[in-house]
Amino acid sequence: MQENNHIIELKYLTKYYKGSGVPAIDNINLTINKGEIYGLLGPNGAGKTTTISILCGLFGPTSGNVFIDGMEYQHSADKIRNIIGVVPQEIALYPSLTARENLTFFGHMYGLKGKYLKNRIDECLKLFGLEKNANRRIKTFSGGMKRRINLIAGILHKPKIIFLDEPTVGVDVQSRSVILEHLRKINKEGTTIIYTSHHMEEAENFCSQVAIIDKGNILTEGKPKDLIARKPEYTDLESIFLHITGRALRDE
Amino acid sequence: MLQLLSSIYKELLVLIRDRAGLAILFIMPLVLILIMTLIQDATFRTVKEVNISMILVNNDKDSLGEAISKGLYASEYFQIVEEIDGEKITSDMAKELVAKGDYKIGIIIPERATDAIRGNVNALINKSFKSFNIPGVKKRTKKSTVNVTIYIDPATSQSFKNMVLSSLKEFTSQLEIEMFFKNFSEAMAQMMPDQKPVKFESFETIKYQEVYASTTKDEMLPNSVQHNVPAWTMFAMFFIVLPLAGNIIKERDDGSAFRLKTMPGSFVTVMFSKIFVFLGVAFLQFILMLLVGVYIMPLMGLPQLEIGPHKIALGVMALASGLAATGYGVALGTIATTHEQAATFGAVSIIIFAALGGIWVPVYVMPHTIRIISQFSPLHWGLNGFYDIFLRGGDLVVVAAETAKLLIFFIFMLLIAIVYNNYTKTK
Repeated sequence: MQENNHIIELKYLTKYYKGSGVPAIDNINLTINKGEIYGLLGPNGAGKTTTISILCGLFGPTSGNVFIDGMEYQHSADKIRNIIGVVPQEIALYPSLTARENLTFFGHMYGLKGKYLKNRIDECLKLFGLEKNANRRIKTFSGGMKRRINLIAGILHKPKIIFLDEPTVGVDVQSRSVILEHLRKINKEGTTIIYTSHHMEEAENFCSQVAIIDKGNILTEGKPKDLIARKPEYTDLESIFLHITGRALRDE
Repeated sequence: MLQLLSSIYKELLVLIRDRAGLAILFIMPLVLILIMTLIQDATFRTVKEVNISMILVNNDKDSLGEAISKGLYASEYFQIVEEIDGEKITSDMAKELVAKGDYKIGIIIPERATDAIRGNVNALINKSFKSFNIPGVKKRTKKSTVNVTIYIDPATSQSFKNMVLSSLKEFTSQLEIEMFFKNFSEAMAQMMPDQKPVKFESFETIKYQEVYASTTKDEMLPNSVQHNVPAWTMFAMFFIVLPLAGNIIKERDDGSAFRLKTMPGSFVTVMFSKIFVFLGVAFLQFILMLLVGVYIMPLMGLPQLEIGPHKIALGVMALASGLAATGYGVALGTIATTHEQAATFGAVSIIIFAALGGIWVPVYVMPHTIRIISQFSPLHWGLNGFYDIFLRGGDLVVVAAETAKLLIFFIFMLLIAIVYNNYTKTK
């Protein structure tokens, strides 16, 4: 039997929110291979958050199937949750707890414990330049520091897949550089990264594969370089994005 | 298990580090219970112990005036005032003083009131002995009425007014009986001069013995503290709903709930850790409020709280009440989408539950329909259970039904939260 390289598969995925006649995502088929840095790009209201939410198991689709490493949420929710890491756009941390207390709590929730967890926290804090701030409360951190801890909380348990929702929004150039550099490093170690962003230049340089989605449909998909090559009149991903999704302003 | 323990530890850290919130959580219920007990103590004493000042204008100067005056002075309920600054109070002054609210009640006994009673008594005797021509007894048959005026402050409670009126009626009727017997004996003596006249002796044939029904050997006397501490403790414990619901909403607002939902730890694990911590807070609140009742209230001139012999029953009731309150908080925090919704709905619903539960007005005086509705108030179950323990000496068996109802309420609230949480996943 041939080994399947797909880590995520969406089959005919459709989602209608209750009371809405318009699908948030409409019959999407998508396959993501292991080891990719996959960018889900789209304007506000395109269906990115809905797709990510379904992938993270926050709610189910109206129809269609989601396979994460060959498993479905209906049957193996806890197994899937053990192999994914989620880094939400909001700073999803407890402000009154220190960085170490936050990470210890989230580590425990993933079943990590004892010396292994302590060493892993130390390793991650050092990796992101926060080892001296381990015992400071999150509410005293700068925006960039909070975002780095927010990221560590999602990767502490060495997940197979990381979902990143705008991981660099609102941070300075230094923090962004550190975050992206370490994400590349984690990716090289075999972790698949699913990433959403409005920052096209960052996506072009960071992602190995992107899908541009709008109005619940995948409009185009491929390696950023290939997408640019397919449209010689455009020189970067942002121009192609605007060409495909239009210049009209979008509401949420 | 590790997830649950870690989650409990995290909740404790979050709670402990919110110093202001923690202070509010413990100090406010204590302030509430002290103030409410002090206030309610005054109301409680109005009927039992408070010495209320009352004006007496006795224009009769005869037996009726004397009987009423003697009776009122002898009563433990009233403090009688007949003059101010050495000046005798007149009827008009009494009316004015009561109208100003300086006194609750003013009693005016008119001149010759005793004569009127005496005349009526003689008329009755005459009627009885009309076939005998008794020389000493006047031939009077016309009845007259005496008007004892009672000025009442409109702010006076109905129960106090009723108590004064019934006391006055008692004094008057006793005088009438005495007078009747005396005149009757005199008439008989005239008819049968050889017989020695019988002297009237008042004798209390029926005595009323007050015994507070209790299942314990040691009688616990009902007083304001025995009534109010359990009532307001129950009320304060239910207010744990607000910080708990706020905690859940805050976690959702700041994104932590989002992250937790993507982790292997289930919704139930997270909620149980919150229940555990807030139940601990509620139990601690309960113990502090009991300690206030036992040690602080006597220092403030209030009676001491008697906990009674069934401490295990008390602990079980406190835990069951705490669970009911935390279950309600979890349901509210899960369903409410904003802090404003949770705070408004939570506070108002607790006040409604408390009103229905008999915290302010006893359930037995409520209209029939409300009495039926009150049977569904968790505060009613809790209060009943605490009254069983504090006033009726009830043990674990006695409070079993109330405990079961509170636990069922807790489970029902948890189910609502779980079902709603699952429902949002299908939205």
